Amino acid sequence: MAVFMQSLISGILIGGVYALIGIGLTLIFGVMRVINFAHGDILMVGMYLTYIIFTMLGIDPFVSVLITFPLMFLFGGFLQKVFINRVLNALAQNQILLTIGLGLIMSNTVMLIFTSDYKILTTSYSSASIQVGGGVSVSTPLLISFLITAAITAALYWFLLKTDTGQAIRATAQDRDAAQLMGINVKRMSIIAFGLGSALAGTAGALISPTYYIFPQVGGVFTLKAFVITVLGGMGSVVGATLGGILIGITESMSAVYISSGWKDVVVFVLFLLVLLFKPSGLMGKSRT
Amino acid sequence: MNKSILKAVVILLLLSGLLAIPRYVESPYALHMMILLFLSVMMGQSWNILGGYAGQHSVGHAAYFGVGAYTTMMLMHTKQIAPWIGVWAGMALVIVVALAIGSICFRLRGPYFVLASIAVAEILRLSAINLTTLTNGAEGILATELPAFKIGGTIVTDFLTKVPFYYIGLFLVVLTIGITYLVQHSKLGYFFQAIREDQDAAHSLGISISFYKNIALVISAVLTSLAGSFYGIYVGFVDPPTVLGLDVSVQIMLICIIGGMGTLWGPVLGSLVLVPLSEALRSNMITEGLVKIGLVNADSKIGLFLKENLSHAHVLLYGILVVVVILFMPDGLMGFIKQMATRRKQEAV
Amino acid sequence: MAILEIKNVSKFFGGLAANSDVSFSVEEGTIMGLIGPNGAGKTTLFNCITGYYPPSKGEIFFDGKRMNGLDPDKVCMLGMVRTWQKVRPLAKLSVVDNVMVGALARTSSLKVARELAMEQIKVVRMEHRADFIAGGLPIGERKKLEVARALATQPKLLLLDEVMGGLNPAESEEIIQLILDIKKRGLTQMVIEHDMKAIMRISDRIVVLTSGEKLMEGSPQEVVSNPDVISAYLGEAHA
Repeated sequence: MAVFMQSLISGILIGGVYALIGIGLTLIFGVMRVINFAHGDILMVGMYLTYIIFTMLGIDPFVSVLITFPLMFLFGGFLQKVFINRVLNALAQNQILLTIGLGLIMSNTVMLIFTSDYKILTTSYSSASIQVGGGVSVSTPLLISFLITAAITAALYWFLLKTDTGQAIRATAQDRDAAQLMGINVKRMSIIAFGLGSALAGTAGALISPTYYIFPQVGGVFTLKAFVITVLGGMGSVVGATLGGILIGITESMSAVYISSGWKDVVVFVLFLLVLLFKPSGLMGKSRT
Repeated sequence: MNKSILKAVVILLLLSGLLAIPRYVESPYALHMMILLFLSVMMGQSWNILGGYAGQHSVGHAAYFGVGAYTTMMLMHTKQIAPWIGVWAGMALVIVVALAIGSICFRLRGPYFVLASIAVAEILRLSAINLTTLTNGAEGILATELPAFKIGGTIVTDFLTKVPFYYIGLFLVVLTIGITYLVQHSKLGYFFQAIREDQDAAHSLGISISFYKNIALVISAVLTSLAGSFYGIYVGFVDPPTVLGLDVSVQIMLICIIGGMGTLWGPVLGSLVLVPLSEALRSNMITEGLVKIGLVNADSKIGLFLKENLSHAHVLLYGILVVVVILFMPDGLMGFIKQMATRRKQEAV
Repeated sequence: MAILEIKNVSKFFGGLAANSDVSFSVEEGTIMGLIGPNGAGKTTLFNCITGYYPPSKGEIFFDGKRMNGLDPDKVCMLGMVRTWQKVRPLAKLSVVDNVMVGALARTSSLKVARELAMEQIKVVRMEHRADFIAGGLPIGERKKLEVARALATQPKLLLLDEVMGGLNPAESEEIIQLILDIKKRGLTQMVIEHDMKAIMRISDRIVVLTSGEKLMEGSPQEVVSNPDVISAYLGEAHA
């Protein structure tokens, strides 16, 4: 039972970070109908940013989120304005290829600068844990990152539901043409959405940097996971992505314990294929015909 | 009619030139470059049948490349089965894998198809890492000792130089381009393109969508697996990232996108651009060139940096090329050339 | 003899009935007009007949065979082919290649297919466009290309979904002549059309649909003189 509880709790904790990644991707998809294959690489940029700030300025990764978030927002807005915007009406495969290309540029530029060595960001609490009783312990950095994730997600929900800009973004996601007719600046919403999506991915990168190896190719895994999460939750659904993230976190940590850690990603991909086959609109999505 | 005779003559001349090269060129490096070029054309052309003609943009072709490469290498390494026999096993296995993938992925359209194709390739890559008893896991399989190829007791070749590989590569390229040509000039080619252009319209015209998509997939997968087997035998080493990684899938696709999807010569053109460029970067030729023409001082900081890093930059180049091609010539080089040609024609009129 | 029989066909999307309990039959060699206001379920009925949706209830018989649940390609091979309200040219292929795709339903030889295709291109009078890329044609010619491509599959029944939509009067007149020409060759047709004058001229019988149900069926004369049709359809259209 203790093992079960342990893996359930770590699954939920890591799932929070996954949710952040998934929400970012689903926001971008919702507003622009573009699948961002560079999502994991944006996360990777966030990791390196955190690493630089930590090694050069000595700022704790959980504090530097305050710097990373706005910087990644600007980075995402830039990507949208300069590249993505030009292919909004192009074929889906061209959009996919463009983002793959952008991802390759990001990961390989980072590799040129930092080499492909694995970097480790060690904080005083990197391997600390808290006993919660019943033989179950919780990793301190995971717990802190989960709390930050929860706060950011709550703030994001508030932003999308309560602010004018948030509502304009949701309107654009629902019907781009209608939103434009209603006087919403769709172009600006797209930039904000891509900026937000990137900021969320970058933040996720920052939050996992104390517990993960940092290397230029780390993004690929997260891009794939982000897809699994968003498809699971229903493309474009923010609530779906939140739940999808947690669900994938739990699936991963359970299969790592009960099957083997080598196969945990396989389990996730098989789950992904099953969802694509039997419920392509996602667990939370409405089926469109 | 004259035009097609001219075309045939040009192709024959080109082919005899290619056949003659090993007689006059002894440099193993030059032959190696040619073999890489052949490999690239094969990979691109195989993808082209499914992606370019039938319009199903698989980003998981590493699956077929890897299964072909691994099957041949595993049989050679553990059972001492000669690769020219193992190749057939690879192709047979790939047909099974392709039909399984097809039955899953072809129910999905557009971005969902792309995602599913990636997921399947990733499942295979992770399986290759984890099934250590079968695949030797992340360490990969090293098998460089090729048995001599004999026909009726006489040794045809013992694979000690690059020449036999050159000819095998050339043969395979001719085979792949030939098959693509046949496909393009048959009912299949018309049906594939109809499916690419408009699936519903194609369906209403009597075309069984799933049947023809699977045909395109099987042809494409078998040829890709052949390329994979050839790669494995030539290099003598396979491991999960180099034959099953997402990079491989992207690279396969890239050859077509740069050259021009759904055209016979697009993958050739794409390879002619990609292979030399990435080799030039890999072998530091560009840095040396910059030093030679005096643009960069070899001992300056920039010179040292370039020398140190530019060799790793070939993937960066892929990225930049993709972005440039998608933004400025979405129909690839072939499309770009055609556009130029028609523009010139119009100007002449 | 009836070539197509539609018996109590209904199609539901969720709780909404796009067609409910529609029955009628089409006699061989005639032209059946299908009219009704927007959203009456005309295209949905076409989709049910040609295999794009299975009907939720009811049966469809074509040439004596039950068609329920057959895929569109099977439907085409049995001799029933449709065109699309929103034209669907194979945009990157030439006109002749487009029509060849249709012809290849009946032959495997490209040479034969090309000959068959050229025949149909002549029928719609587009010989001068044969080598043009379909995506670049004006709307009038794209509509005619749809018809030629469908004819190339050598159907027994041709279903035309608003082939005159978006055309100018001269182009519409050309299509009307084309439809009458096709009828002369003995081919049965079912035509969805908004232009009342046109449909009155070409149809032998007309079925009127409103909100998914069959309002009436009769000769063009009977349809125009029916007060229900005038209020339900004409009334709305000319309000």
